[in-house]
Amino acid sequence: MLGVHEFSIAEALAAQVQRHAPAAGRVREVEISVGALRGLEPEALRMSWEAVTHGTAIAGSILNVDLRPWSIACSTCGRTWTSPVPFVACACGDPAPVPTAGDELNLVSLTIDEEEA
Amino acid sequence: MPEGGRTTRIPLVERVLEANDQVAAVNRAELERRGIFSVDLIGAPGSGKTALLESTLRALKGHRRPAVLVGDLATRRDGDRLARWCDQVVQISTGQGCHLEANQVRDALGQIDLDAVDLLFIENVGNLICPVGFDLGQAAKVGLFSLTEGDDKAAKHPYLVEAADLLLLNKIDLLPHLSFDRSSFEADVRLLNPRVPILDVSATTGQGLDAWITWLDR
Repeated sequence: MLGVHEFSIAEALAAQVQRHAPAAGRVREVEISVGALRGLEPEALRMSWEAVTHGTAIAGSILNVDLRPWSIACSTCGRTWTSPVPFVACACGDPAPVPTAGDELNLVSLTIDEEEA
Repeated sequence: MPEGGRTTRIPLVERVLEANDQVAAVNRAELERRGIFSVDLIGAPGSGKTALLESTLRALKGHRRPAVLVGDLATRRDGDRLARWCDQVVQISTGQGCHLEANQVRDALGQIDLDAVDLLFIENVGNLICPVGFDLGQAAKVGLFSLTEGDDKAAKHPYLVEAADLLLLNKIDLLPHLSFDRSSFEADVRLLNPRVPILDVSATTGQGLDAWITWLDR
C-alpha cells in the first residue's frame, strides 16, 4: 500500500535528508520518530520513502520509524499502559480509559557510510 | 559498509515539516498584525464545508468582511459557489495534493486585498487526516463532521479531534432520520479532547448557525 497520507510526509523528509546529507558518503539509514496522534502507518511510510527517493542520491537508504504509541490511563483503577490504538477497555472493566499521544514528527538521525578519504 | 570506509551516525532533532512551519509562522504573524481572525476548516468530502461557508457568508453579509481561500484537487466549483456570497475568494488547485500547505496559503493571500478583510476562512481539501498536520498559520482549526458520515468518525480521526479549537456537527436536521448516536459521538470526542466546544449546525436549515457566528465574533 502506498499511503497517500504518508507520501507528502516522505517527500518533505527526503528534501530534508538531502539538505543534511554530507557531500562525501552515502546515506544508509534515516531514523524518524512519530507520535501515534499523527496516524501514520510505518509500512506505508517506508513504501513512500522508496518511491520518493528512487533515482535520487539517497536511493536505497532505509527508513527506520520509531512509532510512539498511545498512553492509556484508567481513572477507575489507576493503571497506565501503552497501546497502538486509542480506544481500548481496561482489564478492570472500565470501558473508556483516557488515551493520550504526541504529534511529534522528527528527523532523529542519519547514518552515513563514509567514503575513505 | 563500503570497504575501507566507516559508518557515522549523525544525531539531529528537527521537525520534518519545519520548512512548512516556518512559512506558516510568517502567515500567522501577517494575519495577526492585520487583526484578521483566520479559520482552517477541515472536514471529509461531502461533510458540507462549502455549504456551511455559503450559509455563513450569507449570515455575515454587512456584519463582517470575510475572504475565503478554498483548496480543491481539480475543479473551481467550490470557489464559484462561494464567490456568489463573497467578493474575495481564491481557489487553490492542489492537483495531486490531498491537503493545503503554508506556501499555498501565502501565495493565495497575495491575491487578496487584506486591508478589506477582518475574517479569513480557509476551506481545506476534503480529508480528515493530512490537513491536520500541516500548519497554515491559521488562528483556529475547526473540524467539521456530519451526521451522514456516522457517529464513529471522531474516534477514527483522533488527530483532528485533539487539534481542533472547535468542532461543528453538520446536518443536525437529519438526526431523526439516521441511526447517528449523538451521545456516543460526544463521548468519543470528550475522551480525546475534554474542552473543545461542539456546535450542532445545519448548513441547509440554518439551525445552530447563530452559535457558530457568535464563536467567530468572540
